[in-house]
Amino acid sequence: MAWYHEVLSSLAALAGKRRQDHEMDEELRFHIEMETRRNIDAGLAEAEARRRALRDFGGVERHKDDVRDERGTSWLFDGWNDLRFAARSLRRRAGFTAIATLTLALGIGATTTLFGVVKQVLLTPLPYAHPEHVAVVWSAWKGFDQTWLSYDEWEGWKARVPAFADIAIYFDGSATIDGDNPERVRVGTVQANVFPILGVRPIVGRNFTAEEDRPNGPRVVMLGYGLWQRRFGGDPSIVGKQIQISGRGATVVGVMPNGFRLPVDYSTNGPSEAWFPLATDAAQQGALPGPEFPKGGASHGFYAVARLAPGATAATANAQLRSIVAELEKFGYMANVGFHAYAVPVEEQITGRVRPVLLVVFGAVGFVLLIACANVAGLMLVRGESRRRELAVRVALGAGSKRLTRLLLAESAVLAVLGASLGLGLAATAVRLLRDNAPASLPRISETTIDWGVLGFALVTAVAAAVLAGVLPAFQATHIAPAGELKEGGRGATMSRARLRWRQSLVATEVALAVVLVVAAGLMIRSVRNLLAIDAGFRPDGVLTLRVSTPSTWYPDSIRVAAFWSELQHRVAAVPGVKHVGAVRLLPLATEMGDWGLQVEGYTPPPNQGTPGDWQIVTPGYFEAMGLKLREGRVFDARDDMNAPLAMVVNRTFADQYFAGRHPLGGRVRIYGGPDSLARYTIVGVVDDVHHNTLVGNVKPEFYATVAQFAREPGNTQRSMSLVVRTDGDPAALAAPVRSVVRQLDPRLPVSEVRTMPDIVNAAIGGPRFAMEALGLFGVLALMLSAIGIFGIVSQVVASRSHEFGIRAALGATPRELVALSLRTGLRQALAGLAIGVVIALVFTRAMTTLLQGVTPTDPVTFAAVVLVTGLVAVAASVGPARRAAKTDPARVLGSS
Amino acid sequence: MASDLEPGRRSEVLQGTLEMLALKLLSVEPMHGWGLSLELREISRDVFDVNQGSLYPALQRMLRRGWIRAEWRASDNNRRARYYVITREGQRQLTAEIEEWERSSGAVNRVLRYALQGG
Repeated sequence: MAWYHEVLSSLAALAGKRRQDHEMDEELRFHIEMETRRNIDAGLAEAEARRRALRDFGGVERHKDDVRDERGTSWLFDGWNDLRFAARSLRRRAGFTAIATLTLALGIGATTTLFGVVKQVLLTPLPYAHPEHVAVVWSAWKGFDQTWLSYDEWEGWKARVPAFADIAIYFDGSATIDGDNPERVRVGTVQANVFPILGVRPIVGRNFTAEEDRPNGPRVVMLGYGLWQRRFGGDPSIVGKQIQISGRGATVVGVMPNGFRLPVDYSTNGPSEAWFPLATDAAQQGALPGPEFPKGGASHGFYAVARLAPGATAATANAQLRSIVAELEKFGYMANVGFHAYAVPVEEQITGRVRPVLLVVFGAVGFVLLIACANVAGLMLVRGESRRRELAVRVALGAGSKRLTRLLLAESAVLAVLGASLGLGLAATAVRLLRDNAPASLPRISETTIDWGVLGFALVTAVAAAVLAGVLPAFQATHIAPAGELKEGGRGATMSRARLRWRQSLVATEVALAVVLVVAAGLMIRSVRNLLAIDAGFRPDGVLTLRVSTPSTWYPDSIRVAAFWSELQHRVAAVPGVKHVGAVRLLPLATEMGDWGLQVEGYTPPPNQGTPGDWQIVTPGYFEAMGLKLREGRVFDARDDMNAPLAMVVNRTFADQYFAGRHPLGGRVRIYGGPDSLARYTIVGVVDDVHHNTLVGNVKPEFYATVAQFAREPGNTQRSMSLVVRTDGDPAALAAPVRSVVRQLDPRLPVSEVRTMPDIVNAAIGGPRFAMEALGLFGVLALMLSAIGIFGIVSQVVASRSHEFGIRAALGATPRELVALSLRTGLRQALAGLAIGVVIALVFTRAMTTLLQGVTPTDPVTFAAVVLVTGLVAVAASVGPARRAAKTDPARVLGSS
Repeated sequence: MASDLEPGRRSEVLQGTLEMLALKLLSVEPMHGWGLSLELREISRDVFDVNQGSLYPALQRMLRRGWIRAEWRASDNNRRARYYVITREGQRQLTAEIEEWERSSGAVNRVLRYALQGG
């Protein structure tokens, strides 16, 4: 084969394009001249001889094109020429170009942003070695779908579940990094094998040793990368040195890599940044040593991670756990509460809840892109109409259909490149906004970046958009018959029905896609409204919260702690604008709460069940500040100090469950503490249920005790509480004055988690809210684009039928009739789109079922509202151009033809 | 009108024949485009007269494939003209094409003869 000839001649052609063109011109000129001379010799006059030579040659320019094609490089040059030509012709029509570019930019920008999020959240592996072999392990029983393990359970699963190669427990909390500028950070307390199970090694220093992970072992700490950089300047020699944490010294043994998170860190506010060894054993935990289980229950308080044995999956582990739990139930461990234990692959645990949200939103953004492409295709079709003459001349001059297709695709390619550039700018902004505002309940969104993968995706999207938007107009243009087009004189010509129908189908498609998006948005808006309408049991509006810790270094006993809170509350109450102030152990909807074993006089729990109560420690003033509703009796006040009789407030569920048929006020409750605990409380009030752990779901029995009285039991001192401040004005505006009050009182104390209650509530419904906001935005975008499409089609119809309207007007049609006639053309597309859109929506919204709250995917109210809104938008978009039909002046229109 | 014939829609057979004939003519002596076109018209009794220009893309294609090469020479009436010269590759191609042609036309002939005699 002479393939090298092809390559060489292509390269030569590439190198000497101008020279080759020159030679070709000369060669063809020579041919025509020789032919002319031959015709003259045959007896023709010179002019006629030349004319015939040209005719017989058959289109000099076309053959030149063909010769260029045969050089094997034409695609390159022609492509470049086409692009240059397209750019020039787009520049001439700045308005069209701006609208088309903006439309594509919105589509590409939105799609790219969402791809960035999907890539980060769902496609980027977790920062663990072989995350597919890591599982988190949970316990569950009646009313607790997913809760902590007890120490006995950890020992049991470690010894008896072969599918776990290893399993380790940890818990989370917070600590103060002491120094000039004390800082409260979240910390993890982990067994030494937690990090090896996750497959993550420290970048500096080492992991905890077994020696350190033992009761009364040395106090050591591992630092997170961020904390290490922030507080210690990234100094590797910090390893081996002592630092002060929460008033005590701890030796740094290692630094974890950047981006490391414990599995639980993905569902809480901010990652843990320092880790201590758990350093405990069965005796310390009050558990039976070894794989033995006690009868009855146990205290549950540990997260667990396991590495799966080779070949084992979470399903294998769950099968083994089921059979062990069945044995345990017979034996009497956690009997009659439906106890079970299960493992979840770590990826599913972290991204499982957010996956349906993201997939729905990502699907929706694809619709937006399609609408944008349809819109640009529509615009290009209109533009194609106005340049049919130009294209016809090109065809007559010998441009082939391939050439025309290329030319028109080049235009959409230039538009797509412009759109993609602008779209990437939009995406960069959107990603920054998302990172700053992503609710903590949507894991990993805050890590979204625009990297090469996302850029590549934007490129692919742009190419797809160019083809989608360009192929139909190009197809239309290649069916131009130059003779007919040029004969018509190109002015006032009636548009061919087929061409109009294409455009109408595009508009109907846009409306249909928009309907689907708006229905989805409508369903989410209703869901979020339903979520917000749930009475959470407190009034979040106007509430500011911030967390203050009182380390034992400076506040060695509970008397000082209680005095501090009393004084702080007193001073904050004096800040202008503050209406009520109190403090609480755990803010509702912010941190999950566990329970405490109780004994309620006159209540006997069913066999093998305890009398648990969620425990909430407050200061007098909390109920007013958080806006809880009192049902019976009274809330705490100044009387309930450290030396007063122990007082307790309970929630309604507590009263209903443990005082069924009896009067709760004056009831006696004992809180289990040490073996000789004397903590007997008297119920003084009943308040409404507060949805503490989640907005939806059951509320458990809960009791409230004051920080001063609860600490009478040794070891019950609250080291960290959230201040709750209510105002009539903007709660965020109080942040600075309240902080300065804390600083004045004790500048050593760190203040953290400064948030308003509405923010906390919004974060608690972060998933549905994110879906609502994204879908709402896309729905509005889709409606706008569709409106532009409808506006365009009606304008086009009115313009192209002006001749016909003129005749109708001359024959006596009133302006009103003409307007109605034009309106009908726009509305017919809208109606078709609506009908199709409703059918598609009925199918697609089923994918949203898990996101919805209190509304079905086929909610008739939503569908009716969407039909109404879309219909109104269609009418509004049609009216303007349709009214132009009324101004048709028969004399002018008919005279001009 | 000539432009109704779109490029790429000309008969493939005609195209192949045009190339074979051009190679055959060039194997006798180097010629310029117009000379080739004239010879072709005479040989083919004006079958290739429809569109003289279509010769040039064909020449360009054969150039690219290395069957011929082009050089500028003085023509008979002393004008600069682009002459085409057959290459060794082109010679081989011509032989192959003639063989192929004879084989297929022989087969057609046999079929026709059989059809005429047997029918």
